[in-house]
Amino acid sequence: MRLLQTIFNWLRLLLLRNAAERELGSELRFHIERQIEENLAAGMTPQEARRAATREFGGVEQVKEECRDTRRVNFLDNLLKDIRYGLRMLRKSPSFTFFAVGVLALGIAANSAIFSIADAVLIRALPYRDSNRLVMVWEDSSAYGFPKDTPAAGNFYDWKSRNQVFEDVAALAFGGSFNLTGSGNPEELSGKSVTANIFSVLGVRPALGRDFRPEDDVPGAPHVAILSHGLWVRRFGADPQIVGKQISLNYEKCTIIGVMSRGVQFPDRETELWVPARFTKEQLANHGNHFLQVVARLKPGIPLKTANANLATIAKQLEREHPDSNANVGAFAVPLREELAGDVRPAILMLVGAVCFVLLIACANVANLLLSRATGRRRELAMRLALGATRSRVIQQMLTESILLSLFAGAAGLLLSVWGTQFLAALIPNGIAPVTGAGVDSSVLLFTLIVSLATGILFGVIPASRVSQFHLAFSLKQGGGQSGVGSGGHRLRDVLVICEVALAIVLLAGAALMIRSLQNLYHLDPGFRADHVLVLRTPLPRQKYEAFAPRVAFYDQVLAKVETLPGVIAAGYTTWVPLTNSGGATGITIEGKPEPAPGNVLIPNTRIISRNYIRALRMRLVEGRLFESRDAAGTLPVALINQTMAKNYWPGENPIGKNFKVGGYNEKSPWINVIGIVGDVHQAGLDVAARPEMYLPYQQQDFGFEPEYLAVRTSGDPMAIAEIVRQQIWSVDKEQPVAGVMPLEDLVDENLASRRMQATLLSGFAGLALLLVTLGIYAVLSFAVTQRTQEIGVRVALGAQPRDVLRMIFSQGFKLFLIGAAIGLAAALALSRALQHLLFGVSAYDPASFAGVTILLAAVALLACYVPARRATRVDPLIALRYE
Amino acid sequence: MTKPTDLVQGTLDLLILKTIALEPMHGWAIAQRIRRVSKNVLQVNQGALYPALHRLEQQAWIQSKWGESENNRRAKYYSLTRAGQKYLQAEESNWERLSSAIGLVLKTV
Repeated sequence: MRLLQTIFNWLRLLLLRNAAERELGSELRFHIERQIEENLAAGMTPQEARRAATREFGGVEQVKEECRDTRRVNFLDNLLKDIRYGLRMLRKSPSFTFFAVGVLALGIAANSAIFSIADAVLIRALPYRDSNRLVMVWEDSSAYGFPKDTPAAGNFYDWKSRNQVFEDVAALAFGGSFNLTGSGNPEELSGKSVTANIFSVLGVRPALGRDFRPEDDVPGAPHVAILSHGLWVRRFGADPQIVGKQISLNYEKCTIIGVMSRGVQFPDRETELWVPARFTKEQLANHGNHFLQVVARLKPGIPLKTANANLATIAKQLEREHPDSNANVGAFAVPLREELAGDVRPAILMLVGAVCFVLLIACANVANLLLSRATGRRRELAMRLALGATRSRVIQQMLTESILLSLFAGAAGLLLSVWGTQFLAALIPNGIAPVTGAGVDSSVLLFTLIVSLATGILFGVIPASRVSQFHLAFSLKQGGGQSGVGSGGHRLRDVLVICEVALAIVLLAGAALMIRSLQNLYHLDPGFRADHVLVLRTPLPRQKYEAFAPRVAFYDQVLAKVETLPGVIAAGYTTWVPLTNSGGATGITIEGKPEPAPGNVLIPNTRIISRNYIRALRMRLVEGRLFESRDAAGTLPVALINQTMAKNYWPGENPIGKNFKVGGYNEKSPWINVIGIVGDVHQAGLDVAARPEMYLPYQQQDFGFEPEYLAVRTSGDPMAIAEIVRQQIWSVDKEQPVAGVMPLEDLVDENLASRRMQATLLSGFAGLALLLVTLGIYAVLSFAVTQRTQEIGVRVALGAQPRDVLRMIFSQGFKLFLIGAAIGLAAALALSRALQHLLFGVSAYDPASFAGVTILLAAVALLACYVPARRATRVDPLIALRYE
Repeated sequence: MTKPTDLVQGTLDLLILKTIALEPMHGWAIAQRIRRVSKNVLQVNQGALYPALHRLEQQAWIQSKWGESENNRRAKYYSLTRAGQKYLQAEESNWERLSSAIGLVLKTV
């Protein structure tokens, strides 16, 4: 109540300033007049009465001013005046304003854009209820080369029923494509088979219709599906009557029971629909088939550590109960946020650091400019001080000016960052909702405002505080004259330039290391040639291609048709082309070796391929032979293995001619003969080393893995024949969906996209820093030359040669550079360790990178010195001496 | 003429509040009343009175209203707000505790 009254009073005073002033005047006037009456009544003459009353009252103006002060009207009044004055000053020097606002806007834009990404990935809550209690649970099969393995359904079931730490546990089947046929074009949708409790674990509800119920999730139940908001809008035109309608999914009738609320993209952005997993009893008892993703909700108050201890206990029990499948298999939980943010976290933190540096450099630059201006405005400021302005009042005025500048820059930066954020959206990992709309929400707005204000204070406070070091009389006398600036100003400006150089070195060194890493990756031999290769997917619907023979026939026919197309060099089917699946592995037993202890089973990656796949990808044959037409169905089963498999599984032996079989020691499967060794292929990522891997022909056996990817090596542009290839596939089966048509190079690019983005951004920021530093050095030296014109004139008059003058100015500038570079290199060496795991094939202390950026900056610094130094040599002693 | 005792910082507020607790008053009358009641010991300087009034009003302990003065002129009358009454009571008991404490010290030591 009282607060409201206070605010009301204050507003009234602010808005009705003139009325308040009048009231104050008449109030005081009444007082004096009342006193006069009193004096008259006491018998004074009218003059005496007035004089006595006025004398007693004291200074009317002082009283008024004090009254205003108590109302805090003055502060606002001054602020408004300062703002008006500041705007006038900025308008008066448009080039300075433009430059300062531009420099700061770039710095602020970089910060806002990176912040919006960091906010989305690291800070903002996930769109799930109490999302900090959500975890993903993985198997730890490090013993087999899978430190983070997709869990088996049996393990999921046992975790779910035995744990004491989770409210509930849900699972999704890894991978999953759904052919949507019927209305419109046949389309392959990315969807997930999920347990019925998935959405209740996540804590989200459908926007339309109902959630899954346990009875939907049993074998034989009617088929139902929940659509993502995106699919509902895209394919069904946001039909409000969609619930209850039937669609044809994988050639089976399926009822749509709900539409998920917007923003739910689990587990990734591509997922467009969810169907019940309908696990069978057999599946839920199988501990060896690893194909799930498991998400769980911690009970309130249970820390991650407790959950992990509980999971470890259960894993130990399972090891005892199922030694064949579970020996050496652990289990652990990872917070969902960490899981989704993944590898991007360190990169984003690095970029946050980089943009802070850029902004600091921008601040130093503008502070430097303001210092030069403050020197020019000495007379004005000294006059103000002489006329009785307090120092704090002058500082307030100067800070108002600098904050005005930074607010303008903030507004400009915000506009820039809107554009920048869209460009940066590629940095956001797949499972996290991208920054929506224009990318600017209230938190980004607030952040930008705070950064702008902080910036304004940061670069404004140094020049402003210099005011308090003025020697008044001295300044007035020197006035706006050209010479005789106190050495303190120089030192401050020098320190700012040194800081700029140091910060720039750190940024440049980081950028150089990232670029080297990227180069290393591009020049790395991944074991295949991605150029001129078209890839596409033809996932065969199980319902239609239940038996092995029709599937083989489909591949045979498609390959026969595609390989004979003009412009096609080779075509091959495979389960997964490189960079699409890091796993896909099968346990094997090698002939003639003793039965391995549980937990020592060999599990190489498995790729089921057609004869010419190796040729289509230009993989290297190291030894032996490739598949040939004689390796047909019914002949001796054969396999190719990669070098890592040869080295690890047959150490010191020649594996060619050796036999192995798929499955355990007692499995009754046929022996497979190794006929050749091929070069290692980086399947899991260009920066990930190869695992043991085997290649098996699709015709000989049904291994349970289906070749899906068709890779076509072309003589020309691969996309040019995409349509013809598609027609050929449809000529074999006109209902067969064809998905994911793209050049293999796109996959490589995509694999490097995040790294390339990081390197590009860091280089961009470093380039910006370089530019700012150049300008900074240039500005300081130009100013120094102007200040020292008289001194240079005297030197020239006394016989100094242009060479001497040049050397003098150069050494002044270069000294700053050397000190800055030394500090910067030390800082870069200390900081680059943080970059270590963002780098590839280059040491964080790579001498070449560090030397390179130092030389680059030195060259730029020399250039920045040269122009002012050149000007100094042209100083005419006669003019210089009269320069005052 | 003896020099009027300087008002202790903060006690002016208390005096003003107490003075206008009876009835609304304008600034001049407040000064007069304080002087008269204190038998010329407490002389309120106008330079301090008006800023104090404005501060108290800003803090909403008192409110003001223009009205007719005793000599038929427009004058600004100050009166206590409800919050001001409570504040005055609290400050009065504070003052009493303080002055009796000081009295005790002065008497015994």
